[in-house]
Amino acid sequence: MNVFAFAWRRLRRGWRSGELLIVMLALIIAVAATGTVHLFSERVRLAIGEQSGDTLGADLVYRARDPLPASLQASIDALGLHGTATTLFSSVVFAGDNSALASVKAVGSGYPLRGAITLAAAPFEDGHAAHGVPAPGEAWADARLWQDLQLQPGAELQLGRLHLKLRGVITDEPGKGAGFDDLAPRLLINADDLAASGLLGVGSRAQYELGVSGARDALARLRAEPLADGVKLTTPQDARPELRNSTRSAGQFLDIAVLAATLLACAAVALSARQYGEKLRDEIALLKCLGARRGFLTRALLLQLLLLGLAAGAAGALLAYGAQELLARALGDLLKLDLPPPPLLPLLEAAGLGLLLLLGFAAPPMLAARNTPPLRVFQRSESGSTATRAITLIAMATAAALLWLATGDVRLAGWVLAGAGGALLALASCAWLLVRLLTPLRRAAGGGGFAWRFGLGNIARRRGATIAQVTALGLALLALLLVSVVREDLLSSWQKKLPPDTPNQFLINVQTEELDALKSFFAAHGYADLQLWPMARGRLIALNGKPVTADSFPDPETQRWINRDFNLSWSTTLNPDNRITQGRWWGEAGRGKPLLSADAYAIERLNLKLGDTMTLDFAGEQQTFTVSSFRTVDWDSFKPNFFLLAPPGAVSDLVPRQYLTSFYLPHEQRALLRQLVTQFPNVTVLDIDALMAQVRGIVDRIVRAVEFIFAFTLAAGLAVLLATIEGTRSERVRETALLRTLGAGTGLIARGLIAEYAVIGALAGGVAAIAAQTLAWVLAANVFHIAYGPRPLLWLIGTASGAVVVCGLGWLSLRSTLRTPPNTVLRQS
Amino acid sequence: MRASGVSKQVSSGGQPLTILDHVDLDVAAGESLAIVGSSGSGKTTLLSLLAGLDLPSSGEIALAGTSLNGLDEDARAALRAGRVGFVFQSFQLLAGFTALENVMLPVELAGLGDARARATAALESVGLSARLGHYPQQLSGGEQQRVALARAFCGEPQILFADEPTGNLDTITGGHIIELMFELNRARNTTLVLVTHDATLAARCGRRLTLASGRVQAQ
Repeated sequence: MNVFAFAWRRLRRGWRSGELLIVMLALIIAVAATGTVHLFSERVRLAIGEQSGDTLGADLVYRARDPLPASLQASIDALGLHGTATTLFSSVVFAGDNSALASVKAVGSGYPLRGAITLAAAPFEDGHAAHGVPAPGEAWADARLWQDLQLQPGAELQLGRLHLKLRGVITDEPGKGAGFDDLAPRLLINADDLAASGLLGVGSRAQYELGVSGARDALARLRAEPLADGVKLTTPQDARPELRNSTRSAGQFLDIAVLAATLLACAAVALSARQYGEKLRDEIALLKCLGARRGFLTRALLLQLLLLGLAAGAAGALLAYGAQELLARALGDLLKLDLPPPPLLPLLEAAGLGLLLLLGFAAPPMLAARNTPPLRVFQRSESGSTATRAITLIAMATAAALLWLATGDVRLAGWVLAGAGGALLALASCAWLLVRLLTPLRRAAGGGGFAWRFGLGNIARRRGATIAQVTALGLALLALLLVSVVREDLLSSWQKKLPPDTPNQFLINVQTEELDALKSFFAAHGYADLQLWPMARGRLIALNGKPVTADSFPDPETQRWINRDFNLSWSTTLNPDNRITQGRWWGEAGRGKPLLSADAYAIERLNLKLGDTMTLDFAGEQQTFTVSSFRTVDWDSFKPNFFLLAPPGAVSDLVPRQYLTSFYLPHEQRALLRQLVTQFPNVTVLDIDALMAQVRGIVDRIVRAVEFIFAFTLAAGLAVLLATIEGTRSERVRETALLRTLGAGTGLIARGLIAEYAVIGALAGGVAAIAAQTLAWVLAANVFHIAYGPRPLLWLIGTASGAVVVCGLGWLSLRSTLRTPPNTVLRQS
Repeated sequence: MRASGVSKQVSSGGQPLTILDHVDLDVAAGESLAIVGSSGSGKTTLLSLLAGLDLPSSGEIALAGTSLNGLDEDARAALRAGRVGFVFQSFQLLAGFTALENVMLPVELAGLGDARARATAALESVGLSARLGHYPQQLSGGEQQRVALARAFCGEPQILFADEPTGNLDTITGGHIIELMFELNRARNTTLVLVTHDATLAARCGRRLTLASGRVQAQ
């Protein structure tokens, strides 16, 4: 017999009878989930690679918190390179009665040296490459600022003391990142207008950049020159680090969702392949009786698997292609990347993964059916070796290989496998316990009617299958509960933690000479007790008399921290959000003494002990302090806080200083900001409300993307459920026929079925709610640092949604068995 | 129970196949009838039609005085509930239900009260009072068929249908089951319709109906 013809005929029969439907479905889910995420990640990776030069806006960019040294510009000129200066800072922009916090970029002629600004006449119109930069007195804004300020072309904007005419919408610009610094909408102005705005004074918070381009040799020579203190160099290779990091983190999170979907799909494939293998046993016994050899059966089974794998791979790849496009649309503009067309390799890899999954999970139980002895044609109990141990070992090895391929890290794969095993064990134990608790209920259900007795009886009878169903569905529901209900729950708990009058506005860059005027301004508007904190910026140069640099510390985090200026403040009183843990607070007695109180983070980074001395350099003015107390700070209080505090008078009057404060401004009084900025143009207002809304918007979109991928996890969970439900089909047919013979009507049997699946679903939902609640509690305690108690609503939602989903699926899958004619019983006899 | 001109045709490989051909039959209350015939003669089909498990292609069937022809599946099930008992060759007990729960099934389905007490009594009458909480897989074949007998008689049905009740049992155990079935039948005066290959068993019934190729050969 032609083995291909036989395999094809068997496959068609298996497909028509629905025996292979779940294997196919689970494979498609695994291929689609993996393909979607890999394809999307690959597009992002390619986009970053292609656009890094243009993304940076130059071949090299020097950055500093203070104006860049003139010597740098001299070197650029000497080497024959082009340079263009850019200044970035945050400020509130006004248009009529509207105001918004903007990220202002003041650019000089020649900007950008690489890439181009794309400009449109009005939002959502087609953009074109801009020529030059905004003319003095004009500004370009991105679409979000247009929207926030409800702008019209030619509108007049006010930035500090400056009045600007709006001339275009920025649709794309080099150097626009997706990091926190660039959260605010962009306003682009001419560098010549900067001085007139009056926004930047001494010590103002701004970023100064110098973009450089030119010949490769000259650039290499420039790069070889030592960097001045506080100056950082960015090259195209490290462009968009925030994007690389955030896509890597998001990628890892999505990978976990994909791995969960793949592992569930593996379970579904293994379950349904085992059932298919069992059904094949009669057929194989007969074929052996008729003379079929083992080799023929092996080739026929493997060919069926190959055909199935190719079909599922193609369908999964198509689905992945569509799904990654949806993901790209959901996240594309957030990443601010021009994504290239999808490459085909990740799709082929995903299809290959489908074949691997088939070989590891479907082939062993199906091939084990070849062990069926021909004697089975006479004695049905003869099943031969089921090779259970070998099947389990192969499945575990395949799962480990899949995880290793997905993560590329043996250790991580091991951890994920152990974690998945642990989570499954915990869910299964919980399910086992609930099913056990149900047994006495089943005996007491006599009063609930026959349908309940029948439904609960089935659960107890198929205890193993019930636990598998509850576990699989519980896992899928857990994923959904976590990303929907629990996320909302934790976020709102966190928001509620802040009292309603939590400061929502920060003022920074307040100069000493403005202090009295600013206090009077606020007193006149009802803010008499506004506390302004002095702040000086110093660099640590010695610890206990020994000079230190970044290289003095082994860990990268401390090295980065040391490289920055420390913000130091002074006071005789300690705010309620600070608590002394060691030593004593100096109070009034400390005035003028060179003491320091260090926060827990500084203590940990510098390994400080009480009595240690720290020498700080305040723009050339060096001072040494003795650490006299340790503090913990509640950084979530939204009030100004400092790693280092000193007594008033301890810092020399020669040290430059500025002041900052925070206060709560009701929404209806936002007009006050306009007056404030007009009167004090160099004071920077940070609108935390707006920032929080922007952060929340970004988090929401990332969560939506993750939820989208979790849909695959849920689908895989449902495939497992379907596999276990379908595994009971032949038994159900027999039961239904018997019950009908004994006089049960369709309605009664249907009610029994619904009762059974409602209970299974409720159990799965309950298990998922327990797990979600536990995880939420762990997150609340360790990440959010908030109190998080039991949430009865979560239990209710979990249990109810589980009951509804499983009832629906059980009904869809098995409703046809309700039509089993009763004479089937006699035929089976 | 009455069958008038009952025929049953099915389609096999696109061709019509006649399984029963104009069968006429009357079974009086309390009578016992054995349907015999070779394999494929239509015995089981006739039993399933008489019990309302299937509908004839033509002809009329009345069960307990009610015509089955106009009734749908559920109405026929409702007619059987509490009136009809069954004994099958392969016992057909629900694996997840205890012996007691299996026996309670028809009583509950018929909506009769005291299901537990009736089922307990029925199991006592077949000598299984010590096996109430056992599951089918914990019982021998003979014990399983005794549970099936208890289930068949528990609701005190007017009619008992039995399809090769000893087909899966050895001769001695089968003999005990037959004794028990006839004893219960006598005690309750139940109408008995029995399908069998066993001539000795058929001889114990009041009447025999022999089928050959779907036609009544002797009555």
